[in-house]
This record gives sequence, C-alpha cells and structure tokens, in this order.
Amino acid sequence: MIALLTVIFSFVGALVCGLMPARWHRAIRWVALSTAGLGFAAAFCCALRYTGPGMEDIISRTWIPSMGVGFITGFDGISLPLLLVTGLVAVAGVLFTWNLDHRADQFYAFYFALIGGVYGVFLSMDLFLLFVFYEIAIVPKYFLIAIWGGAKREYAAMKLVMYSFGGSALVLIGMLALFFASGLNTFDLRALMEVDFSSGLQAVVFPVMFVGFAILAGMWPFHTWAPQGHSAAPTAASMLLAGVVMKLGAYGCLRVAVGLMPEGAMVWAPWVAVFAVINIIYGALAALRQEDFKYVIGYSSVSHMGFVLLGIGTLHLTGMTGAVLQMFSHGVIGALLFAMVGTVIYTRTKTRMLDELHRLMERMPGIAWVFIVVALASMGLPGFSGFVYELYVILGAWAALPTWIVIGAGLGVFATFGYTLAKIHEAFFRERSTGDDASDNNNGESDADYPPMTLPEKAGVALLLGASLVIGLCPWLLTNHIAGSLQLLLNRFN
Amino acid sequence: MDYSAIFTALLPDLFVVVALFAALGVDYTKLRSASLADRACAASRICGVGLVGALVALAFQLTGSLAVDGHALEVTTHGQLVLNAGTLALKALLFLLGLLVLPLAARTISTPQVSEYFALLLLATLGMGFMVTSRNLLGAFVALELVSLSLYALTALNSAQKGSAKSAEAALKYFTYGGVASAFLLFGISYLFGALGQLDITQATLAEAPRLVVVAYLFILVGLGFKLALAPFHLWAPDVYQAAPTPAAAWIASGSKIAGVALLLALLGPVSLPSAHSAIVPLLLLMAVASMAVGNLGALRQSNVKRLLAYSAIANAGYILVAVVAFTDDGRAAALFYAIVYAVATLGAFAVVSVWNDRLGREALIDDFRGAWKASPGLSLALLVFVLSLAGIPPLAGFVGKFYLFFAAIHAAPQMEYWSDGLYWLVAVALVFSVVALYYYLKILKAVFVREETGEMDNTPVGLPASVAILVLALLTVALGVWPEPVVEYIRLYLF
Repeated sequence: MIALLTVIFSFVGALVCGLMPARWHRAIRWVALSTAGLGFAAAFCCALRYTGPGMEDIISRTWIPSMGVGFITGFDGISLPLLLVTGLVAVAGVLFTWNLDHRADQFYAFYFALIGGVYGVFLSMDLFLLFVFYEIAIVPKYFLIAIWGGAKREYAAMKLVMYSFGGSALVLIGMLALFFASGLNTFDLRALMEVDFSSGLQAVVFPVMFVGFAILAGMWPFHTWAPQGHSAAPTAASMLLAGVVMKLGAYGCLRVAVGLMPEGAMVWAPWVAVFAVINIIYGALAALRQEDFKYVIGYSSVSHMGFVLLGIGTLHLTGMTGAVLQMFSHGVIGALLFAMVGTVIYTRTKTRMLDELHRLMERMPGIAWVFIVVALASMGLPGFSGFVYELYVILGAWAALPTWIVIGAGLGVFATFGYTLAKIHEAFFRERSTGDDASDNNNGESDADYPPMTLPEKAGVALLLGASLVIGLCPWLLTNHIAGSLQLLLNRFN
Repeated sequence: MDYSAIFTALLPDLFVVVALFAALGVDYTKLRSASLADRACAASRICGVGLVGALVALAFQLTGSLAVDGHALEVTTHGQLVLNAGTLALKALLFLLGLLVLPLAARTISTPQVSEYFALLLLATLGMGFMVTSRNLLGAFVALELVSLSLYALTALNSAQKGSAKSAEAALKYFTYGGVASAFLLFGISYLFGALGQLDITQATLAEAPRLVVVAYLFILVGLGFKLALAPFHLWAPDVYQAAPTPAAAWIASGSKIAGVALLLALLGPVSLPSAHSAIVPLLLLMAVASMAVGNLGALRQSNVKRLLAYSAIANAGYILVAVVAFTDDGRAAALFYAIVYAVATLGAFAVVSVWNDRLGREALIDDFRGAWKASPGLSLALLVFVLSLAGIPPLAGFVGKFYLFFAAIHAAPQMEYWSDGLYWLVAVALVFSVVALYYYLKILKAVFVREETGEMDNTPVGLPASVAILVLALLTVALGVWPEPVVEYIRLYLF
C-alpha cells in the first residue's frame, strides 16, 4: 500500500492545488512542497522496506473483468530507483520554481497530475493500467509547456504531445496483439511474463512496442521533440521531462518490450544497440553545435538516453543494470542541469544564449562552480553516479556486443567530454568579444556581480547532487536490487 | 390482444406524449401573451415532468414491479416492441439524456415557436425510445422516421442570431437528403423482408447471403449511413450542426447516434454468421475508413466549434464501425458502449458551446474561447473533461470506449499471419486518426486554457438547471471512464 501512496498523494495534491485560489500562491507552494515531499517519503519507505529481488507490496483488484483488466500495482528492483528519482525530481522541481506566482494553482495541478501518472507507470503490474497512467502523463505536459513555457512553447508542446500519443498508439496495438496471443484473458504482467509467445509474433510485435516506448525515451530519429520540448518548457517541467518522463519510455522498453518478448529482444537487440550508439554520438555532436544553453542540455539528454538504450540492447545483466542506474543517474543530474540553466542562471542573466553570457566565473563564482561540478558529474566524474553507470554499460557492451559498437560508444564518451568542457568554457570562462561603445556601456552597467543562490535553490542542488553522490559512492545501494530483479527477468533468455 | 398489457408497456411513452401535448396546450392558451422566457420555462418544465414520469415508469418496468415480465416481453407480435432489461435500460438512458437537453434548450431561446420546439424535442426522444425497443423492420423504420422528421423541423427553428436563412437552408438540405436516405432504407428493408419472409428480426438468421440480401443491405447501409453521418453520406452534417439551434444539434449528435447505432446493430442481426455477412463487410470497412479520414482531416481546418464537432461526429461514427465489422457480441457491445460514451461527451461539449453562443450572440469560433479559464473556470473544466474524453484520454470514458472498440475488433480474429489478417490494420488506421484528432481537440483546449487574454463577451450566468445538466454529464464521463465495468457488463448480459 505504501507504494501506491505515491500516486494517491500526487493526485490529491493536484486536486488540492487546483482548488486553491490562485492568489494564495505562497500557500500553494508549501502545499506543493509537502505533496512532493510526501510522495518522496513514500518512495523512500518503499526503498527501505524492499528486500528483493521479486515483486513486493502487491495490490491486486479486479477492475474491468470484461476486458481482462485488473488494478495491480507493485514494485521491484527495477521500478524502485525510478520511484526514488521521481520523488527527488518532484521535490526539487518545486524548490526551483519557488517564486512562481503566475497561475500557480493550475501549474501545480498539472504538475502533480503528471507526477501521479509517472509514479503510476512505474508501479503498474497490469499492462492496461500501465498504459492508462502512461497516457494520463501526456496531457499535463502539454499545458505545462504551452502555458508556462518560453519561446515557441505552443509548437513545442503540440509536437511533444503528438509524438507521445503516436508512440502510445504503437504500444496499444502491440498490447492487444500480446493479450490475444497469450489466450489468458488478462493484462497481468506477471502472468504475461510466463507466456512463451511464438517467435514469429515476438519478432513482429517487439519492434512495434519497443519503438512505441522508445519515442518517449528520445530514440533517434524520433528524438526531435525532446530538445525542443525541454527548451520550451518551464524549469520544473523540463526537469520532469528530462528527469523522469523520458524514463517512462525507457522503462516501458525494458519492462514490457524486453520483459514480455525475450526472443524478439534477442532478434532486435543489435539494432537497438546501433540506434543507441547513434543516439549517443548524434546527441553529443548536436549538443556541441548549440548556442542556446537549454538546447545543449536537451541534446545531452538525448545522448544520455542513448546509454540507457545501449544498456538495454546488451541484454546482459551488467549492461542492463547500468541502464537502470543511468535512468536514476540522468534523472537526477539531467534535472539538475535543467534547473541550473533554466532557473539559477537564467533568472540572473536573463539569457540562455551562450554567446551573451559574459565572465560568469567572476560574476557568479559560487553558481559557476556548482554548475561545473554538476556538468562533470553528468560527464561521468568518478564519485558521482554518472561514472558508475557508464562503467556498467560499457562493461556490459564489451561482454555482449560486437567490438565496433563498443568503440562507437567509446567515441560517444569522448564526444561527451568534448561538449561538456567546451560548453563550460563558453559559458563561464569566455570573455564576450564586443568592441563597440554601446555594448561596452551596456556591459559596464551589467558587469556587477549576480546575487548568490537562494535557499530553495541551494536545497534543490543539495538534494539532487547529494543523491548522485550517494549513489556514486555506494552504488550497491541500488545495484543489488536492480541486478536481483533484472536477473529474474533475464532468466527467460536461455 | 390484451390492451392492459399494451397500456403498461407503453406507459412511459404515454407520459411523454401527454407532456408534449400539455406543453403545447398551455402555451397556446394561458401563455399566449407571456414573454418568450416564461413560455420556454413553462414548456421545459412540463416536458421535464413528463420525462421524469416516463423515467419512473421505466424504472418500475425495469425492476419488474409493473406487469412487464423482467426478461423478454413481446407485447405485440412480430417483435414490434421488445421490452427486456436491455432495451428498457437503453430507452431509459435516452430519456435521461433527453431530460438533460431540456434545460439547455430552455436557456437558449432561438425561436418564437417555443412550445413546438420542446414538443419536437420530446417527439424525437419518443422516437428514439421506439427505435431501440423495436425489432420489427417496419416498426423500426416508422420510429426512425419519427425521429428524423422531428429533427428536420428542429433544425429549421433557429431564427435567433441572424441565422434563420441559414437554418432554413440547412433544414431543407437535411430534409431532402434525409428523405432520399429514408427511401433507400425503406427499399432495402423491403428486399430484406423478401429474403427473410418476415418483418420480425429477432429470430431471423440467414445461413448465407444471396444477391438479394446483399443488395438489401447495400441500400440499408446507404440509408442508415446517412442517418449516422457516415462518410460518404456525411455531407449534410457540418451544415446542419452549424445552423441548427445548438441544443437541437446536440440532440442530433448524441441521442440519435445512440439510437441509430442500436438500430444498425439490430438490422445487422440477420447476417451475424460469417458466411452471410462476408459480402457486406467490405462496404462497412469502406465506410469506416472513409468516415475516420473525412471526419478527422476535415475537422483540422474548422474554426467554428459546432462545425468541428460535426466533423468529430463523422469521425466517431467511423470508430464505431470498427467494432461493428467484427460481427461478434463483444463488437456489438463495444459499438453501443462507445456510442453511449460518445453521446454523453458530445452532449456535454455542445452544452458548453451553447452557453458560449448565447453569451456571444453568434456562433462561437474556437478563438472565442480564449481565456475562458479566467472568465468561467467551471465551464472550462467541464469542457476539458468532455473534449479529452472525445480525444480518448484516460481516465475518461472516451478512452475506455475506444479501447473496447479496438479490443473487440481484434478479438474477432486475433491470429495474424499476414498484415491484412484480422482487423489489425483497421485498428491501426483508427489509431493513426486518433492521433490526428488529438491535434484539433487540443486546439480547443489551447484556446480555453493557454490564452491569457479574454474575448469580449458578457458573462451571463449559466443558471442552475443547465449547470446541473453539465455537471451530471461531466460526472458521467468521469464515472464511465473510471468504472466502466457495470455498464459494459450490463450491455453484455442483457443486450448482446
């Protein structure tokens, strides 16, 4: 029951925030913070109580028996890190939008509706229920971006929603095919996992479902919604999008596509790996070319999701453990990067264009150092979670995939170094080369130091960076559970 | 013939008939010189009382307290009235929805012919009740004509808002096309009668379909395709929806859709065996794909909300056919369930649009809804529920309805060796078009929620009765989505 509380708290929070009058925005943010905090607390309790490796905290009720649908929730070592990261990002998202006063009631109503849907996906043990939560998460995204977003927000929001909905259409077809092929008259994932679907069916349905989910995971060439959507979104929403919503897709790929169709996965795994490597390299190179700071982070998300897909494509315990760990790690770090760029730096400099930033290292040294640490953590600095997952994924790839794919992934790692360092340089150390008097005057006026981080911002950074550090130093906290549950899933691969 | 049995069986309809004559009579005598608003108020109250009485009588019939035997009662011979738990519940649902249309009609007075307007609404409702309870070729046809004629006349009654010429033109168009469609239908029915040798379609099942039957169904589908606004017989719909008084358009879109689908399913009963319907299926497939394409693509370009809803009605009729072509009990149940779910949501959407039209004094464009969240948050929220249900977003009814349609369609032939096996491809087409549909539904919601500036209009309050009606429809939409099982099970148990 504790696990389900995450969903319940979120939806109740959405309702409460929505019903409060907008002018109480100070009260609303406290309600929002406590809602997110309660959700995280519930997820944390799950983590403390979980013994593994099987499914725990199972709630099973009939819901629509005419269609074989049950209301079944539970979690295992694969969902656990994702529940935690959802909780963390939800809390941090509220902290980084602390000063929101424009339609705050509706903002948090949509925000928590989205978070409730996300928690629900990670908890669903019934395919239909999973799909329902997956779709519940779509519409709030639209409004969060279209109402509170930045430039080109309506276009980006519509594009994102179209891509998500298109992906879920593919998933729906695959779902029905599996349901009727199983002959069990149930969408219960535990039962469906026991079924040996015919190889022909698996070979056809696997790519349909995998692509359907992977669209939301930002798989090349269906990734274009991601940088645009992330950049147009308000900070809290882009944190959620990058941090957890993209993980919905990856989680679906892993739990549903790979989990239900091992043979199909084996047939298609090389292709998954190839696309993953394209993701990694393409995302990194595209990030290198961006001038808009948020787009840099957006493309880096695409690149990082490539590592998740690569880990899944190995179909090897180590690689897949790395994939799940990366979902956690990028959830935390990616969200933090968006927060740094979208709120901490933007509210001070009022620009996201890299070539307009000027001597930030001197003018906001504290923030600059924090950002550099976060960026290095994202790059895979040892001591942070980014390093561990990269190790796992690459080791898994060595064990399971052809050498040239590993070399490709290795190149991707170098490209990641490249854009991270280059963009840090551009943002913080580069002097803006402006010669004419007008801009000199302008500079002289705005050359003053920027204010330091506020308390909510510090708290958010501490929360997310701390989580990454903890997992980076003690990865076994998560990897034991992840590997245990993945082993159960992989037992069918022989 | 036992007249007391007929009296008990027709008691609900009697309430409706008495109410409609009472409404006319009071209006013609006592209220001749009263204001339009007073006359509308009185007429809608009398009609409302009549429908409530009918609903109570139906409830008694359903629980078996009256003399009607709970399970299957044929009052007259040849299936002219088949009253069982299924058909009675469907009739009750239609009367209930009709009751919800009344407050909307009462607050939008679009014509000086107030009492006639309400009487026609009741007549249409009455006809729909007969449509779903009759399993006799002729009885069903007569009921359908009762509905159609009432709706033609209702369409013409929009003399407010400078739309009387358009309204008359649309009504004439509707009437002309509808008349031809009825002729087609009657012609088809006569052939079907020739093939079956009887008018009663409860028992008739054909083992195979000779040419005669195929031709019969060809004509029947043309006729019914028109009534259900299925492409390529949809051309009347956008004009009629736009020009008719909004509550009447709402009733055309919702009530007549449920009754029409029920009638279609009943008429397809004799060819339920695969050997019999194999020749008819291609036609149904064609209509399904064409309707989804025309409806969804056409809706993309609309700026008038009522017109957009008309195209969405065409598209949704197409979705319904996806389950109908399955020719299974599951498919029939899914089609009917979706028709109900769709009717509730579209009625709600029309209700909100009708309030807007009143406030603007003209037909609302999508752009007129901008900033609505600020001016009327309650209505905006209701519109959110209805539109998202139409788009098929969980946890609203439209999602479960659509899922059930696809579920049933694939269930009919789940094996897939080749891409054209089963109905996978049709479901895929439907899914592609529902992605397209989300675009135009979100266009409405974008105006409502995203825009900051508000359009200029007076904020006349909605009024209690209409608010209650909208609230009930919104709650139904949510409830049918969160907990559809009782309704689905009821349909499966008693109807198919």
